Amino acid sequence: MKATVAQLVQLPGVWRGGELEHAVHEVVATGHARLDAELPGGGWPLGTLSEVLHDGVGIGEISFLAGALARAAEGSRMIAWINATHLPYAPALAQADIPLDRCLVVRPANREDALWAAEQSLKSGACGAVLLWMERFAEEYAWLRRLQMAAESGRAMAVLFRSSAAERHSTPSHLRVVVASERGQISVRIPKRRGPPLHHFISCSGSHSNFPHSPSRSQNAPVLVSSRS
Amino acid sequence: MAAAKALAAALRVIDRDPAAERDALERIAAWASQFTPMVSLEGQGILLEIESSLRLFHGHAKLASAISRGIRDIGFNATLGIAPTPLAARLFARAEAQGRAVRSCITLQELPERVGDLPLFLLDWPQKALARLTDLGLLRLRDILALANEGIARRFGPEIVLSIERLMGRVADPREPYSAPPRFRSRLELPAEAEGVEALLFPLKRLLAELEGYARGRGAGVQRLILKLEHGRKAHTRLPLEFASPEREADFILAIAREKLGRLTLPAATHALGLRADALLPYVPRSCAWLPGPREHALEGERLVERLSARLGSDRVFGIALADDHRPEKDWKKVARSNPRQKHAGADAPSHRSRRPTWLLPRPHKLITEAGLPVLQGSLELTAGPERIEAGWWDGEEVRRDYYVATNPRGETFWVYREHRDLSAWYLHGVFA
Repeated sequence: MKATVAQLVQLPGVWRGGELEHAVHEVVATGHARLDAELPGGGWPLGTLSEVLHDGVGIGEISFLAGALARAAEGSRMIAWINATHLPYAPALAQADIPLDRCLVVRPANREDALWAAEQSLKSGACGAVLLWMERFAEEYAWLRRLQMAAESGRAMAVLFRSSAAERHSTPSHLRVVVASERGQISVRIPKRRGPPLHHFISCSGSHSNFPHSPSRSQNAPVLVSSRS
Repeated sequence: MAAAKALAAALRVIDRDPAAERDALERIAAWASQFTPMVSLEGQGILLEIESSLRLFHGHAKLASAISRGIRDIGFNATLGIAPTPLAARLFARAEAQGRAVRSCITLQELPERVGDLPLFLLDWPQKALARLTDLGLLRLRDILALANEGIARRFGPEIVLSIERLMGRVADPREPYSAPPRFRSRLELPAEAEGVEALLFPLKRLLAELEGYARGRGAGVQRLILKLEHGRKAHTRLPLEFASPEREADFILAIAREKLGRLTLPAATHALGLRADALLPYVPRSCAWLPGPREHALEGERLVERLSARLGSDRVFGIALADDHRPEKDWKKVARSNPRQKHAGADAPSHRSRRPTWLLPRPHKLITEAGLPVLQGSLELTAGPERIEAGWWDGEEVRRDYYVATNPRGETFWVYREHRDLSAWYLHGVFA
C-alpha cells in the first residue's frame, strides 16, 4: 500500500503546504471573486466554525458576508443572530437580499446562554448560518471546539465575530479572516485557512452584488421622503 | 390475615384500592388506544382488537413488543396474550402471569390444541362450578372440551357452555369499546420525595409517554400542557408548557420541560406530579426524510425557537420584519417567531433605495461637533446624503431629519443625521457593519 502524495492530498484535512486544500467541502460563494479565490473550495465553508476578526465597527464586517448569508439561508434555513452588539436593522438586511423571515435574533442575558443558544442553533440543522458575537471568555478553546462539532453536525455556516486581539490565541476553527478598512474599501487577510495563510490584505470591494456599499453608488442628490407632500 | 401476621410480624398491610386500580386500568386503556381503536376494559385487564392494526405495526411480534415496552415506559407491568378470541387472549395472558410459557395463537384451528393444556381455574367461572369440575376430575380445558355441551349445560348451567363457545370462537363475543375522556389528566405519586429538578425528569417522562399514547390514539397533539408539582403542604407549583404547533412526542416535550424546570426554584421537595391537557388539536405527523428539505428545516426551526425561548425567555428570541413607516425607529418591528409557519404581514420591500445601516442604535446618540461637523473617532466625512426623512407629525412623534452616510479616518462608516430645528446638533443612528 503505497499512497502517492497526489492521492494523499485528495484526503480531507491533508494539503500541500503551498496550496489550498483540494478535498471537497460544502461552501457558499461570498460574491466577492477575489475572496472566493482565496478560500479553500471557492467559498465560505459550511459545517465548520469560522472567525471574523475586526477592530472597530462600521467597516462592513457583516455586509461583506451578505451574499454568503443569503445563500446559506436557501431552502428555508434560518440565520441566527446571537448576542449581536446592536439590533440588526431590517431594512438594511432587506436591501442586502437577506430573507428577513428567516432571521432569528437571539439576545441572551449572559455568556453561558449565548454559547448554549449558538450550540443549539448549530446542532438543530434548522439554521443555515449562525452568527455569534463574543469576545474572549472562560474555557474558550473547549467551547469553540463544541461549536465546531455542532457546526459539523448541523452543516451550518458558523461565524464568530470578535476583535483582532484574538488572533494571538489559537483556535479550533478552520477559517480565520481579519477584516479591515483601507480608504473606505473593505479588505481581508486570512491568517488561518486549510492552506497557507494569506498574510497580505486583499480588497474585496468592487464586486459587491448585495450591499450597495461603495459610497460612489449612493445618490449624492438629496432624496426627499416626506409624508406631508 | 391473622395467620400471615403470625408468620411475618413485620408485615405491612395495605388495603386494596379498587378505585385506584380502575383508574390505572383506564389510563392504560387510554394510552393503548394508539394501537387500535377497539380497546375495552376486561376485568383486570385490557383487551385490544389488533387484527386491523397488524399491517401498520408490522405483525404480531413487533406489535406485542411495542406494547410491552410501552407499558413498561409508563410504569406498569403487564403480561400479554394473543389469541383469536377475547376470552382465549385473556386466558393466555393469565397463564403467562402464572409463569407458564404460552405461544400466541393466531388461527381458530390451532386454538383447541393451544388451550388444551391450560387449567380451568384460569377462567372466570363461578367457584362452585370449578370445585365440582375438580371433583369430577376435569382439571384442564382439554377435559371439558371433550364432553358434550348438553351434559355440561345440565350440570353446570348454560353460562358455562356459552363461555366455552365464546372461548372457542363459535359464538360472537362483542365488547363495548372504551372511550377515553376528552381531556388528558394524569397524576403520579413519587415513590420518594424528590429534591430538585433532575429527579423529576424520570417520572415526568412516564407521564409524557402516557400522554403521547393518549394523543396518538386520537391523532391529536397538545399545544398547551400544565405540569403541576405537588409539594405536600406548601402551595403547588404550576408550570404551563406551550408550543408553537401541536406536539405529542414525549422526548421533545421532555426537553422543553427540562429547560423550563431548570429555571425554576422549587419551594419544597416534590411528592407528586400531575399533568393536564385540556384541548386536543389535530396533529400533523412529521415526516422523516433522509435528505432534509425546506419543510423539515421549517419544522426544525420551530422546535429550535421553542427550545431557545424555553430557556432564554420568549422576549429574547424574536424575528424582525419591515413595517410601513418612513421613520427609522418605526420602519421595522420585532415579530414573535413562535409561529413562523404563519406568514408575517410585514410591509413590502422598502421604497427607498438609499443605503441603510446594518446596525440601528436603539436610541440616537448625540455626537460631539468640531467646527459644525460631527466627530466620532476622528472627524467624519459625509460621503452621501442628505436624505430627508419627514414623518410622524400625525402621532406626535414627529421626525424631521437629514440623514448622511459619514466615514471617519479609520474607515468606519456611520449613519448620522441632524434635526431641521437645530442644524448644528448631530446624532449617530446607525452603523454600516
